[in-house]
This record gives sequence, C-alpha cells and structure tokens, in this order.
Amino acid sequence: MFRPPSRPHYQSISRRRFLQLGGGVATALGSGSVAVGLSSMIVSTRVQAQSSDDAKWKQYSGSKLVFMSENTPPSFAIRDNLQEFFDLTGIEVEILTDDLPVVQQKIGIDLRGGKADYQLNYVQDKPIGAPFADFYEDLTKYTQDDTLPQDIDGYEEGAWFDNFLAACGEYYEPGRIVAFPYDCAVACTFYRQDLFEQLSPDFEKEYGYRMEFDENTTWKQVQEFAAFFTALRSGGQKDIPYGYGQHHGNFAWTSHLDIQRMLFSHGQWTEFDIDDKLGSKSPGPTRWGDEQSVLIMEKFKEQADVSHPDNLANGTLQLNTAYAAGDIAMQVQYHEFAASVEDEQNSRAAGGRTAYAPCPKGEPSWVVGGGEAVNGCNCGIGGIGINSAASEDLRRAAYLFASWSVSKSTQLKVLKELGGTPTRPSVVADPEVSAARTRPTSMPNALTFDAVYDYGIKDPHFVLGPKIPEANEYHSIVLTELQRCVSGQTTPEEACNELKTQVDDLHDV
Amino acid sequence: MSETLSPGPGESFLSALAVARDGGLSIDQAAAARNAPPINRFYLWLMLPAITVLAFITIYPFFWLIWMSLHKVDIGLADDTWNNFRNWTRLPGDSKFAQGWWLLAKYSAMCMFFEVLLGVTLAVILNRSRWEKVLVTIFLMPMMMAPVIAGLVWYYLFNSTFGWYHWLMQSVGLLGDRSILGDPSTAMIGIVIVDVWQWTPLIALIMLAGLKRVPRDQLEANMVDGAGDIRNFFQVTLPNTYPFLLIAILLRFMDNFRFIDAILVLTGGGPANSTKILPAYLFDVSFTFFKLGRGAAIALTLLAVTIILGMILVRVFESPKTGQVHDGGS
Repeated sequence: MFRPPSRPHYQSISRRRFLQLGGGVATALGSGSVAVGLSSMIVSTRVQAQSSDDAKWKQYSGSKLVFMSENTPPSFAIRDNLQEFFDLTGIEVEILTDDLPVVQQKIGIDLRGGKADYQLNYVQDKPIGAPFADFYEDLTKYTQDDTLPQDIDGYEEGAWFDNFLAACGEYYEPGRIVAFPYDCAVACTFYRQDLFEQLSPDFEKEYGYRMEFDENTTWKQVQEFAAFFTALRSGGQKDIPYGYGQHHGNFAWTSHLDIQRMLFSHGQWTEFDIDDKLGSKSPGPTRWGDEQSVLIMEKFKEQADVSHPDNLANGTLQLNTAYAAGDIAMQVQYHEFAASVEDEQNSRAAGGRTAYAPCPKGEPSWVVGGGEAVNGCNCGIGGIGINSAASEDLRRAAYLFASWSVSKSTQLKVLKELGGTPTRPSVVADPEVSAARTRPTSMPNALTFDAVYDYGIKDPHFVLGPKIPEANEYHSIVLTELQRCVSGQTTPEEACNELKTQVDDLHDV
Repeated sequence: MSETLSPGPGESFLSALAVARDGGLSIDQAAAARNAPPINRFYLWLMLPAITVLAFITIYPFFWLIWMSLHKVDIGLADDTWNNFRNWTRLPGDSKFAQGWWLLAKYSAMCMFFEVLLGVTLAVILNRSRWEKVLVTIFLMPMMMAPVIAGLVWYYLFNSTFGWYHWLMQSVGLLGDRSILGDPSTAMIGIVIVDVWQWTPLIALIMLAGLKRVPRDQLEANMVDGAGDIRNFFQVTLPNTYPFLLIAILLRFMDNFRFIDAILVLTGGGPANSTKILPAYLFDVSFTFFKLGRGAAIALTLLAVTIILGMILVRVFESPKTGQVHDGGS
C-alpha cells in the first residue's frame, strides 16, 4: 500500500526558494536556446571614406556570418582558407554546403519566411536567382560605397567573363545586380581522343569522313559518332564504350540544359520571346510545339537511342562517373568535371585520353525556323548574393565576404588547390594559369578553358534563359516530357504539344 | 462507475473521463455532473503546459495549413491573397495529382503485400529458431538505418556503372544494360524492393510478439484433433495474431503515406514521373516550386484520406470478431 512519506521533500523547499530555482532553470534554458539558435552576430565600428583600407576591412571585426552554398570546389577551398578572411576582417564565417536542390530548398524557406538565417546565399542563376531575385540586396549600392573596401579589378561587366554578370546577377530589371559571379559550370564536349584516333579509319569506311572533333562538328555528326560506337559495343566489343550520354537522372535543371543546347544550336531557338539574359516575370506563350522544337525533339530522341542504355538514370554526376569509368565515348559536360576526369587514380579517361572541344554546332539542314547554326553553349553561373532581410550592418559585413570571395587572389588560390572555375579573366590571364592550359598540367580544369572561355561563353553561342520565376517548375515539366519521349511513351510531337499546354498553363496564358 | 467527473478513490481522472465518454452516465447523471462543483483544477493546471505545447505545434499549424490552402501563397514578395478556392478547384484537372494518387496506391499495395507475406513468414521461422535472438538482431538492422541512407545504399547497389546488384541481376538475365531505376517500367519495383528490405523486419518483429501470445493449449488441442502445421497456422495462430497484424499494417500504411526520403534519393520521382507518388509530388510543389498554397491543398487531401483509411483499419481492429479472436476465441 502507498504510505505518504512523513517529511516529503517538497515541504523542505520554501515557495520563494522554489520560484528562485525555477527562475534559474528557465534563464539557463533560455540562454542556452539563444546561444544555440544564434547563428549570426554583428559588432561594428564606424569608418569614414578617408579611413584606411585596413580599417574598412576590419569595421565589423568580431561579427559572425553564415553562408549557405552548394558543395562545389570553391566553397570547399574557401572554407579551408577562412583563416585568411578572418585575419583580414576579424569576421567569422560559417560555410554550410549541400547539394544544389537542398540548398535551393533551404534558401527558399529562409527567404520566403522573411528570415535571414543565411545572410549570404549561393545564387545559382536559374534554380535560385530566377525565383528569388527580389529577396536579394542590390549590390550596386555597396560597390559605390566609399566606406567599404572595393576590389581593384572592379565589379563592372568587364571585370568578369562575357555574360557572367548578366547570368547570375541581373534579373528582370537592368542595372540591379543581386549577385557577383562566384563560380561557374560551362558546358563543353569531353571526348575520348584515343578512341577517336584508333577507330577513325573504320568510321571513315562506313561514313565517308574522318571521326574528329572541333568547333565545326555538328549534332548530326555527333549522332553518327555515337551510333558507330554504340553499334560496336552492342556487337559484343565490351572494351568499346557506348557512344554518348545525355543528362537525365532526377535533377531537372541539367536535363533542361541538355536539350536547350541542341535547340539553341539550330537557329538560336529559345522557349519564349523574351530577353534571354534579363528574363521576364511574365514570359507569355511558349514556342514549344513549333516546327523547330518538334524536329529537335525527334533528333534528341534519336540521339538517346544511340546513347548509353541507362541514359534515363544518369544525372550529370552519374553521367560523368560513367564517362570516367570508360563506359561512354563522348559527353557534353560542365567544365568543372575535368578535374575528376583527369584524376588518374579514379578515371579510365585520364592521362591524355580525353580531349575537350566546344559544344556541337547546329546542323544547317536541321534549321527549319530560320536563323543560323551555332555552337549552343549554356552554363550554371553560381553567384554570391546577400539576403535583404538581414540587418544593414549584417548586409555590409556580408558584402566584405562576397567581395573577398570573388577576388582574383581567392579565385587563383581555389583554382590551384581544388580545381576551381574562375569567373574573372584576370585569373585566367595569370602566367601560371596560362601555362596550365596545355598538358602536362597541374590545373586540369584549365584544359577546358579554350573551349569554354574563348569560345562557348561568347555570343552568338551562349544561351542562358529562360530566366522566369517559375524556372524550377518549368524544368520539372521539361524533364518529365523529355523522359516520356525518350522512353517511347510519347512521340516527339506529342511531347512538344504537351510541353506547350503545361508551360502555357503554368503562366496562365 | 463514477457518477461525477471527479475521480473516485483510487481512480484516475482519465479513467473517470473514459467512463463518461463510454456512456457510463445517464442523462440525469450527466445533468448532475454539470451542476457538480468544478473538477479539481489542479489536474487542469498540470495538463495546461502539455495542451499549450500541443496546440502550438499541432493545432496552430493545422489551421494555418487550411488558411494557406485557401490563399495564393507563392514565391515572391507579394502578400498572400485569397484566390477563390483556386488551389482546390485545380486539383481535379491536375494530371500529376491524379497520377500521384494512383502511384501511391500501387506503391502502398505492393509494399504491404510483400512486407506482410515476408514479415509473417520470417516471424514464424524466427519463432521456431533457437537462434532467435541473434537472428532478430541481424534482421532488425535495416530498420535501424535512416531511410535516406538506405536509399543511398540501394542507389549505389542499383547503379549500372558500378552497382553490385545491377551486375548480379544482369548476370542472371533479369536485367539488360538498363538499370532497374533507369526504366519507367521497372523503377517502381526498385523502390518497392528498398521499402520491403527496410520495413519487413518491423512486420516480423510485431508478428513475433503476437506469436508469443498464441495460447499453447489451443495449438495442442488442434493438433490432437489431427491438424498439421499449416492448418494449425491458419486455424489458431493467424486468428490469434490478427490484432498484431492489423497494428503492423496500420503502422506501415501510414508510413508509406509519409516516407519519401528513399524515393527522393533513388529516383526523385522519375524516370518520366513513374515513381512520383503523391507525397513526392507534394514535396516538389511545396519546396521545389514553392507553391505553398497548392501544396497545402494537396497535403490536406492526403491527410483526409490517411485519417479515413486509418479509421477504417481501427474499426476493423475494434470489431467484435477481432476482439473475440484476441480473447482467445472465448
């Protein structure tokens, strides 16, 4: 039986003592919560325009910032070199990295919720910049602020590679810059030069021309190269890779980029009648479903039929893995992947077996809607932007980091250490980098610079858009209809018409 | 029986409430209860913090979800606006919404069928094994893994470039060069395999607990009547473990409506939307497209169907037949 204690413990504590204890516990818990939850902190010392550069850099010494970024080499390299930034400014920066879709979701929730848990954001042009451009600070007011230290190379359009500032920084209204180009992934062709040379005589017997790759190689020729390789592989020659690989997998954006290159190559076809570099919040009716788009969808399907059989499961990363494993002879891939392809420990395509060329050119006979055939080249330009919901001092402190992270010296260090992808021509003009553009090289990404920086990103080959607020849903629609077409569930015409219906519905057209 | 809502000696307040809820009070008694002195406020004060927390984390978001489903809550800086039930009226015409339901039904049915079949079989085998404790520990290991990790592990196993299972299935002629996840006609099988691998042990564990409670005298009596192992299983074991099986099914059914971690890692809903079950589509709409109003409407339909199906299962669970069996067929 239960027997009440003769002198229960609660009776030994007075009400006052109880309240004191409770108050102490509540204070401790509250302080702990605040300490855990506090992700950023600001300490400021006012400076004048006449102050020294050192004082300007140090005006927020003791502060703490959070940067949410994609898990790309620059972010890793910068994280490894944060001490340098701390020594320069006294600001502590926490860099959080994740896969781009996760980064997009976390940033989206932060921005949409009006929070500023991440004061610095990785602004990848279409997945993050296009939907959330309005939530970012206009950086031009900081670049003109003489109480902030400024980069000697400047931030104007000429300070970056062609089109880069427009790609990640400018959305919907000219002159408002929401991000500085931080890193980039530009498409170019990776192909097995050793196999091309070895098999070219056999190919020539069958097709009547040599199997070589340069900036004049067309999509029609790529299809023939791919068909040749795949026929050998399917015929039992297991040491011969499949001819080609497309970007499908489950990351919709890169699948959209994959067909966009082919479409733009043929008469510079774009999805909407809008300024490709500035974008539009109301793009109007789409061009999907017209004669040009249906023809290219047919060609895309034909290309898929002579590609790696697991095409639909291969996203960008998996495609590169298959290429590095020696399963694919050609891929249009982002130049940042050159570092992994040239890694002799893990790649069968390393050691001079791979060569790099611009993206394939449009086949003139496939241009049915007018315009010229070009080497349609697109990219993902990752910018660094500042959340406008942060306090003014936090935004100014964040600007110091943004400016430092895109400086020539930082980009050069990143390129040397982890195979970064510079966004400033001044980095590539460095004598050491220039020398690395030819083999043997200690900077494998530099092997792609001819195809990328000197050719692909320049007009008339460069295509960027569509920059629209609904970019992510648009990419998702394109991925689904591409996959349905490639897997034979719909015809190219049905796929294009379905795209037209869904995309117009998306924009209430 | 208590005549008021105040707990009697040795009786908890909750049990008193339960008596009242179960119709233990007549109309007169209920009227008397209303006129009775206020219940011991001490208990209310004790419950207040829990109720407050519950309201904050459950009830408030629920009503907020309803509010969102009636408004245009979108990307962009614009304020949320009333949109004349647009989030709801567009659902019937949304082919991905309908397809999501169909795929969810297919996915749940396939998972449930194989998990119950294998789980029950496994439980019976484990129950008879003298290595039961060791085997249970081993079989439970997949369940201990976070679903997203399980997804990643199987993603690598299924990969056509370096996946061991892909190579194995290819070697025995089950697959060609295309991986199981790379073909719209087989991708669903791939994600079902992962779910079955991870969650069959849960069914086995619950069923094993049920098997321990099967009355031995009934089994022996049935054997005396000439029943073999199979007849014994269907006539005695299964009816006695029926409530356990229903609990297992209820848990897994609700999990299938929630878990998308592995699917997002394995296929992201592709290829060609062939694995985009409704929760995966809901995730896309809400957190990739940031159409939070539309997402809220989809989420509410999912919640409503989950509640209805859950209630049906609970009703089956509480049916007299089930109770009779649970009582050992008395």
